[in-house]
Amino acid sequence: MNDDGRLIRALVTCYPAGWRRRYGDEYAQLLRDLDIHRRPGLIVDSLLGAVRAHGGVLMTRNHPMNVAIWATGLFTVAGIGFAKLAEDVSGFADGTYALLGSAAAVALLALVVAAAPTAVALIRDGHRRAWRYLAVPFMGAAVWYGVLRLALAISDGHRVHSAPNVAGFVLIAVTGTAVVAATAWAACEILRRVPTAPPARLRRVALITIPAAMAVATVSAVVWGLQVRSADPAGFSGDHGLLATSFVISWIGVVAALAAATVLASLASRRRTPALQ
Amino acid sequence: MVDDSGRWAEPGLLILASLAGGAKHGYAITTDIAEHVGVTLGPGTLYAALGRLEKIGVIEGLPVDRRRRPYRLTAAGAAELSAQASRMQRLAVLSLGRLRTAPA
Repeated sequence: MNDDGRLIRALVTCYPAGWRRRYGDEYAQLLRDLDIHRRPGLIVDSLLGAVRAHGGVLMTRNHPMNVAIWATGLFTVAGIGFAKLAEDVSGFADGTYALLGSAAAVALLALVVAAAPTAVALIRDGHRRAWRYLAVPFMGAAVWYGVLRLALAISDGHRVHSAPNVAGFVLIAVTGTAVVAATAWAACEILRRVPTAPPARLRRVALITIPAAMAVATVSAVVWGLQVRSADPAGFSGDHGLLATSFVISWIGVVAALAAATVLASLASRRRTPALQ
Repeated sequence: MVDDSGRWAEPGLLILASLAGGAKHGYAITTDIAEHVGVTLGPGTLYAALGRLEKIGVIEGLPVDRRRRPYRLTAAGAAELSAQASRMQRLAVLSLGRLRTAPA
């Protein structure tokens, strides 16, 4: 298979399995007909279409709050990636960095506001079976800390691209992502098990605020990268990215993840929240 | 696809207008719209709209021809396009008429 074939196959693979079964072959042919490898704008459009398709599958199976929670989980992982990427970049673009942090805080706060009625019902009415899910993030954090210590022990004294160091990084990243996913799952389980009649308007405003704040953070991440490019061209094109890889690729990856979370959250905000969860 | 006031999102309407000229596969729809309207629908946007249009029954897929599946307008799709086009025509006539009579 040549490079074009691989690109087309990768783009089609980004779509959900059910979608691929129905449209996969004809979509691959369309990408071939469009000479997609020569048109970066259409590649981005295809990737956004894949995010929308996944969002559509999520929306047909899930409550809008669940989608907002999973979007926030993805946003959190991307945000941690951004913080890691930015830790070696200081002295410029600080204003944009602060704006991104503020927008992220607003998005997380909005999710808390949207979930607040459920938390109140959980405390007020007991729901003993739901309480145990609250332990998930704490247990996850404890496991992650243990893995962190283990990874540091494995990689101690090794060069950045050595096998022990890469293994340690992968261990930390995979465990961290799993903890965020487990926390999102636990939150969805609590929402499912604790029936509430939330103030519909409050939740709706919160669900609109989440993608709006995420969009500000995503744009800030784009602007931040461009400011780094202007202030430090050598650093921008160098290998100061995640795990000392290309900065540009790490930056694009983080921005793509932030954008995907924003699209997912905006899908949640468009749907009407059922009166009773 | 249709918002609260009954209007159609642009990609869906563009696809219906393209298929009003006869059955077409994805690439033919894209080139037809680009040629006549000057809008380039990306593949992700096109197939998202095709999926929604097919789901609500205003278009239907035909048997695959050399890995390309043509789509055609259904009777419901033709009626919907006609209603939307008439609505847009009334709006255009109203807007242009008022712009002509408005004081400079």
